[in-house]
Amino acid sequence: MKYGVLISGFLLLAGACCTFAQDAASSEGGPLKTRYSVSVIDDATFYGNLREPLPDVLNQVLVEPSFSLRYQDRLSFSTSLIGVAGTYSDNYSQLRVKETYASLSAGDFDFTAGRKMVRWGTGYAFTAAGVLDPPRNPTDPTDRLNLNEGRDMVKADWVRGRHALSIAWSTAALAPANADLHDTTALRYNVLVRGFDTSLIAGHDRDSDSFGGLTFTRVLGQAWEIHGEGMWRDQAVVLLGGKFTMHSGVSFIGEFYTPPNTAYYRDMSISPLAGRQHYAFFNASKSRLRELPGWKEWDISGSIVANLNNHSSTGVFDVNRWFGNHFSSYMHMEIPHGAKTSDYGAAPYSTATSLGVRFQL
Amino acid sequence: MSRADCVLRWFLTLFFLAFLLTYALVSHAASLPAPDAETLLKRSDAFRNGWPAYVVNVKITTYEAGRSDEEHLYEVSQKGTDKTYVDFMSPREKGRHLLMLGDDMWVYLPDTSRPVRITPLERLTGDASNGDVARTNYAVDYSPVFLRNEKVGAVDCNVLELTAKRKGATYQRIVYWLRTEDARPVRAEFYLTSGKHIKSATFDEYEPYGGKTLLHKLTLYDEIRHTSHSVLEYSEATQRKLPDKLFYQGRADRF
Repeated sequence: MKYGVLISGFLLLAGACCTFAQDAASSEGGPLKTRYSVSVIDDATFYGNLREPLPDVLNQVLVEPSFSLRYQDRLSFSTSLIGVAGTYSDNYSQLRVKETYASLSAGDFDFTAGRKMVRWGTGYAFTAAGVLDPPRNPTDPTDRLNLNEGRDMVKADWVRGRHALSIAWSTAALAPANADLHDTTALRYNVLVRGFDTSLIAGHDRDSDSFGGLTFTRVLGQAWEIHGEGMWRDQAVVLLGGKFTMHSGVSFIGEFYTPPNTAYYRDMSISPLAGRQHYAFFNASKSRLRELPGWKEWDISGSIVANLNNHSSTGVFDVNRWFGNHFSSYMHMEIPHGAKTSDYGAAPYSTATSLGVRFQL
Repeated sequence: MSRADCVLRWFLTLFFLAFLLTYALVSHAASLPAPDAETLLKRSDAFRNGWPAYVVNVKITTYEAGRSDEEHLYEVSQKGTDKTYVDFMSPREKGRHLLMLGDDMWVYLPDTSRPVRITPLERLTGDASNGDVARTNYAVDYSPVFLRNEKVGAVDCNVLELTAKRKGATYQRIVYWLRTEDARPVRAEFYLTSGKHIKSATFDEYEPYGGKTLLHKLTLYDEIRHTSHSVLEYSEATQRKLPDKLFYQGRADRF
C-alpha cells in the first residue's frame, strides 16, 4: 500500500513534468528550454538453488523521472529521481536522488553545485581512477536498473580548446551510511593530444589517502580502441582494456584490472590477507541483429568476469528486445562459479535470472 | 552544268560546312579543361553546411521492405569543419550524445558509465551511420578527382571520385554526382576499404533556410540488404553562435 502510494505520486510527478515540458517545448528557440524523460521498469529476479533461507523471487518496480531546465545557455537545473518499490523478504520502498544540480556557465568556466554523476574513469567494467564515479559493477556495467547515484559536490570546470581543468569538492555528509565515502577534493586535467584522450587526476580523501593517477583512451586503425587507468592510492592500481569491432558490428571488450587489497579497493568477500587481486573481464555483444530477418530489434550480449586469484567467475548473458519506440523487455542472467569462499562463488545462488519490461518516454 | 549537279554541289558544300562546324565544336568541347574538382566539392558542401556554425534537426525514417519501421530524431550542432555534436532526441535513444572532433569520435551512452570512443568501423552501423549524420564536409575528409560528365535522369552532372584523405572519413571512397549548373549533390555511392559498395544516396529535395538553399531530404539505400533504406529529413537549419566548450570531449553531461 505504502509503495503503491509512492508509485502513484511518482507517476503524478512525472505527468506534471511531461505536461510542463510539453508546454514549454512550444517556446523552443526562446531563452528557456526544457527536457524531460520518464522511465518505468518492472523487474523480477529469480534465484536458482538458493543456499540460504531467502525468497527465491525479488520483485521491483522503478519509476525514474528526469527533468532539465536551461536558461539562455547560461543557467541550468537538472534533476533525476529514482523511486523503488520492491518485495523480497519484506516489502520496501525508497526514494533516491540520482542527480539534482544547478549549473552556471560563464565564459570558459562552468560551475556546478548539487548531486551529480561524474565519470572520470575510462574503464568499462572496472575503474581505478574514477575517484568520484559511481561504483562499477562488472556483472552489470550498464547499470541495468539505473540505480547508480551521483556524489554531492561543488565543481568548477575551465574549458579552452582541447584542454580542460576541473576541480571538485564532494561531501560524504548526505551519502547513505553504508556507502563508506569520505569528503573528497579532486583535480583533473584533461587534454586530447595526438588522438590520446588523456587525463591527469589528483586529490585527497579527508581522513584517508591522497591519490594521483592518469587515464587514457585511443583509437587504433579502423577497429581497435584501447583504454587504461593507473592510480596510486597507497599502492598502485592498474586497469588496461581494449575494444575490437568487427565489420558485422559485433564488439568485443576485454579488461584486466589489478587492485591492491587495501580497505578502499577490497571487495567485501575478499579476505584482508588475500593480497593483491587480479581480475579479467571479457564481453562480446551485438546491438540490433539486423542481419537476421525479423531480429532487428534484438540486442544480445555475453560477458564473463573472473577473479584470477581464486579462480571464481560469473557468466553474464543479456538479451534486450524493443517494441516500438517506448517499450522494451530484457533478460539478464548471472551464473556464478567457484568455491563458496571465493569472490564470485560466494553468491548464495546458482543462477540469478532477471526478466523485465521497460517503458521510456 | 545540270540543275541536279548544282543542287548536289550545294548539298555537298553545306554538308561539308556543317561537318566542319560540328567538328570544331566537338573539338573545342573536348579540349575544355576538366572542372576543378576541389572547387566543385567545396561548393557542394555549402548545400549541406550553410554557415560556419549552425544547428539543424535531422529526422531519420528507416524503411524495411518498403514499410516505415523506425524513426529517429537528432539535433546536430556543427562548428567549423571538424566539430560536430549530435543530441539524440528519440525516446529510445534519449540521453545519448555523439561528439566528433577532427578524426576522433565519442558517444555518450546514459547506460554506460563513461563516454565511449567510437572506432571508424562503428561509424558505419545502421543504414544511416553516425558518420552520415556527423560528417558532412566532404572537402575536408576526401580528395576529389573529376571522372566524367554524366546525366542522372534529365540532370547534367559532374561525376567526382572522392578518396579518404584522413582517418576520420566515414568511407574509403565515394563516387559523387554533382549538378553541373551549381554543384548541388544529386547522387552518391559509398565504398569501404575492401572495395565493397555499401550504400547509395539520392539527394532528393532542397529548401531555402535563412537565405540559403540547403539539403532538405536525402535517401540512403543499403546495398548489402537491398530491402532497406533510410530517409534523412533536415529541418530548422539555423545559424547559431556555438561555444567551443559544447564540443569538449570530457563532458558527459549535456542538455
